[in-house]
Amino acid sequence: MLATKSTPKSGEGMWLWLIKIASGILIILLLLLHFIVNHTGLISITENGLLTHEGVVQYYSNPLIPLIEILFLVFVVSHSLIGLRSIVLDLKPSRSLLKGINWVFGIVGVVAIVYGIWLVFQILSFLPA
Amino acid sequence: MSTPSNQPSSKNWYKWFDPRGKDLGSYAFILNRITALGLTFYLFLHLIVLGQLAIGPEAYDNFMAMLHNPIFVFGELLVVIAGIYHGLNGLRVALTSFGIAIPYQKQIFIGLLVLTVLGSLYFAVRMFTA
Amino acid sequence: MDMNHHNNSGWSVSFRVFRQKTGKDAHYDTVKLEVDPDEYVIDAIERIWAYHDRSLSFAHACHHSTCGACGMRVNGVEKLTCITPIHTIARNGGIVQVDPLRNFPIITDLVVDMGALYRRMAQVGHRPVVPLAEEPAGMPVRKSNNGEYTRLSDCIECGLCISACPVAASTPDYLGPAVLAGALQHGIKRQPGLLKLVDSEDGVWRCHSAFECTEVCPSYVEPGTKIMQLRRNVVSERFANLFRSNR
Repeated sequence: MLATKSTPKSGEGMWLWLIKIASGILIILLLLLHFIVNHTGLISITENGLLTHEGVVQYYSNPLIPLIEILFLVFVVSHSLIGLRSIVLDLKPSRSLLKGINWVFGIVGVVAIVYGIWLVFQILSFLPA
Repeated sequence: MSTPSNQPSSKNWYKWFDPRGKDLGSYAFILNRITALGLTFYLFLHLIVLGQLAIGPEAYDNFMAMLHNPIFVFGELLVVIAGIYHGLNGLRVALTSFGIAIPYQKQIFIGLLVLTVLGSLYFAVRMFTA
Repeated sequence: MDMNHHNNSGWSVSFRVFRQKTGKDAHYDTVKLEVDPDEYVIDAIERIWAYHDRSLSFAHACHHSTCGACGMRVNGVEKLTCITPIHTIARNGGIVQVDPLRNFPIITDLVVDMGALYRRMAQVGHRPVVPLAEEPAGMPVRKSNNGEYTRLSDCIECGLCISACPVAASTPDYLGPAVLAGALQHGIKRQPGLLKLVDSEDGVWRCHSAFECTEVCPSYVEPGTKIMQLRRNVVSERFANLFRSNR
């Protein structure tokens, strides 16, 4: 059992923790913004907001929106996967298993973000030229 | 009571959920984990569902109509509750991590529980009577 | 002073004590004692040993919260039993359950193996007597021969914090609140290997802010607060190193 001690190498945790906290705070701010925009009429976009396809496309006509949504996606995916990794760490995976898990989380994260960016462009493609 | 296993072990993960011999801070930690898992599940579901947007107006609008079903509304309410709790407790963790208000961390936790309950009631009413 | 005959405000309290001897199953022995409610839990345990069962093993020494030996779980909560009056954890006619500390291997009965903790405290350089400048809390100080003011370190290495920590329950590799607080006392600048030791995912980044450690500490160490402080120290030290090596 000693050969599979899970002690991670030094220096691994700091950046992940910093990203987790920073992304967490940014997520809260962006969620507040999202709520105000969609569910209170303070910044009016359309009447039905994001509940119809047309509403979504019109929402994305403002170039700031796709940018914010992509950033939001990056923050949420990072925060979520780093958090999942913390839970997995408490289950004491062996050093090699942890390396594999790091890869899986990394790939899932990249795929999710790439997919999200693709989706944004799909939405933008519905905008009248 | 059967033999308590005193050795730390990752097999003790179910002990995370044992409320005995624990104080508020442990409950905060466990609830944070539970809401985190729920929100992550919702995140990936949400990403997949939004694929409907790429297909076109009919697919998305039909899908949106389906979401008026009370079961889905209830599910969304759970997501909102989880989000409120996780966000507020996350703020508590961020504050204490920077050394702010550590002596009050218990009171802050109770306060955020109250806010979560109030928020849940507000959104429950709002979402089911829209 | 034979406490057995000292019955003026006597309570009758049952003590359900964890027993485990090598080769035998763990079980609980229940003993009903006549106690003075102002006595301490350690007094009751000692009386059980003295008059009921001489095979009961438990750790104790100073009986005044300085040695850190008598930590146990009383009704599931970590306590230093020499300073836990019976009336704070029981009432007349009640039952008190006594268990050994969590997250340490049980040697026998209420005695746990604290070796790993002591080794780690030595590894991070925790000192039992420190210069006043390093632990300035308002506890008594003494002036040493060279004119320097020193005081006993708050931490008595009793292990209650490690028993209470939910992360320590998952893995024995987590350094633990006492050790991280001790590392803060010693200072990561003072010892080069210390930064590497605490800056790891079994070190300072593993804490999940439950603050159970601070809750149970009998000695005002506030390990939770110290872990957060240590995190900030690690971040600033590593950023400083980045610039130092780039010069």
